[in-house]
Amino acid sequence: MAPLLCIEKLRVTFRTRYGEVTALDSISMHVNEGETLGVVGESGCGKSITALATMGLIPSPPGRIADGSIQLAGEELIGANSARLRKLRGGDIAMIFQEPMTSLNPVFTVGDQIAEAITLHQNVSADRAFTDAVALLDRVGIPSPDRRARDYPHQLSGGMRQRVMIAMAVSCRPKVLIADEPTTALDVTVQAQIFDLLNEIQRDFGAAIILITHDMGAISEMADRVAVMYAGRVIEEGSADSILDQPQHPYARGLIDCIPTLGRAERTLKEIPGVVPPLHLLGAGCAFAERCAFNDRARCTTEKPRLIDHGHHPAACHGVEESRL
Amino acid sequence: MTRLLEVRDLTVQFALPRPGLFAPKPYLEAVRSVSFSLEKGRALGIVGESGSGKTTTAMAAIRLTAASGGQVLFEGSDLLKLSDEEMRRRRRDVALIFQDPYSSLNPRARVTDIVREPMDLMGIGTREERQARVVELFELVGLRPDQLNLFPHQFSGGQRQRISIARALTTNPRLLVCDEPVSALDVAIQAQILNLLDRLKAELGLSYLFISHDLGVVRHICEDVAVMYLGKIVEAAPCEALFDAPQHPYTQALLSAAPSLARRKSKGYVRPLKLTGDPPSPLNPPKGCAFAERCPKAQDLCRQTQPELSVRGATHVACHFPG
Repeated sequence: MAPLLCIEKLRVTFRTRYGEVTALDSISMHVNEGETLGVVGESGCGKSITALATMGLIPSPPGRIADGSIQLAGEELIGANSARLRKLRGGDIAMIFQEPMTSLNPVFTVGDQIAEAITLHQNVSADRAFTDAVALLDRVGIPSPDRRARDYPHQLSGGMRQRVMIAMAVSCRPKVLIADEPTTALDVTVQAQIFDLLNEIQRDFGAAIILITHDMGAISEMADRVAVMYAGRVIEEGSADSILDQPQHPYARGLIDCIPTLGRAERTLKEIPGVVPPLHLLGAGCAFAERCAFNDRARCTTEKPRLIDHGHHPAACHGVEESRL
Repeated sequence: MTRLLEVRDLTVQFALPRPGLFAPKPYLEAVRSVSFSLEKGRALGIVGESGSGKTTTAMAAIRLTAASGGQVLFEGSDLLKLSDEEMRRRRRDVALIFQDPYSSLNPRARVTDIVREPMDLMGIGTREERQARVVELFELVGLRPDQLNLFPHQFSGGQRQRISIARALTTNPRLLVCDEPVSALDVAIQAQILNLLDRLKAELGLSYLFISHDLGVVRHICEDVAVMYLGKIVEAAPCEALFDAPQHPYTQALLSAAPSLARRKSKGYVRPLKLTGDPPSPLNPPKGCAFAERCPKAQDLCRQTQPELSVRGATHVACHFPG
């Protein structure tokens, strides 16, 4: 079965005052029908840029898709005309953002905003669209939906606003739903509700979900497959079980080990020292070398490791390649 | 063990606008008769959802929000009874770290001035002594002396939080109030800051009042934990007891909601306890237990009578049907 959404060797660059900077360096990932792909990494690793590129929303200029291909069910999205992209956005591909308050329009009721999304993509009357909107609000678990549909965003709690965003996103039965840190601004209890809801929605609508997060705990609960990103590259890719049980790249291992867990109470957390390097300062070697505890070979600073399968799943690390880790 | 802070029946009310010209002024009770104590050298975590009163409790305990009632005994003396002048002198014993390291540092001041300013304001030491102290603090929190004259925007989020910590430590405080100090940081950086806070606590004998919604973080850094719901403490216990055997259904729900590496999608996990809905509005608190309408165990008694905190082993729990 061909993957539903397939990103191949995508390269995105931005013009900055430091010159042309590569934000995505030839990344490839795919997601199958009905599957959840988790994209994980720290801020500045290129997770959100990947999502924006898929939606055709890279601001240009300064951004530019320099190379590569993004195919949705066989259709090439890069270079597609803007009318076609508008049709696809909110139709076949929908997105949920991190901050539901800033992604909803404060001067329209939430029912009207969902109905607008429906009338833009489906040939239905305004009344019918509003009825559908109410049904969707009910589906995403908003109590007394016919009354809530007439509320403005500020009248709803953060969790309810994110439910409205999900209702809007699934209103046109998207094939791919991109959720960019959908619960970062929410309480854990609400986060749990939203995760459970996304899983239900996936069962009901059969949508593929791309979940962008920096939390390996969220990956464990939500993802079937995982792509770990670092400094604009995919550095490890595989099934969620394989990555969580046998992380290969020291960065992937670090992301798992640095989470304080409920069960054990060791006194010192394993930390990943330092920060993600600025993209304009990336050298010839592995971008993670500076923060890595296993950077003892010359190749680490002179040659970028390639994403190769070393037994468990593909990882981009010279150390793993030489199986000394 | 010596007691550093003891809070008794702390209550905070906020006045609301009058609904009519002659109508009585309504009040919102944000913190409802909260009591806890903090021993020297220990950390007490306060957890709960947004709006549960965690921050208001901590702010009222150090008199940054006016309390409407109760006592705050800090090393034996009631902070709420001190005059403004006396309180100003006690300020050096208490310091704060905020959630957002981007908005809590003056963008137009050099970090050396930011860290030195509390000493300038309180007239501590000579100019040279203060400067020496800044350099010493920079080293203590893991920053380099050559970074002293930079501006906040030249630092990453984690480094800015280190600057906030250095600033908090300038006056040698005994109590540090940490209000969600790592929530705005990436997980990898979060571990760096937690390890730093842990080390400082041991090295300097600090006590923390640690506000967080992340149970994993609290478990890691705190010895004791209090769970708040709608302005009240519903469960308080030493960490081990609370995490191993949570008594209140709300605590159980919080633990079941926290994302965990132990729950795998591939294994088809089902969340043991699901919370629906939102907490009730503090404007119109329910007559009985505030958690009753979301509670799987709720019965008529719960909707009628508010449960009081009672002792159950090492735990204090406010529930009619704990365990």
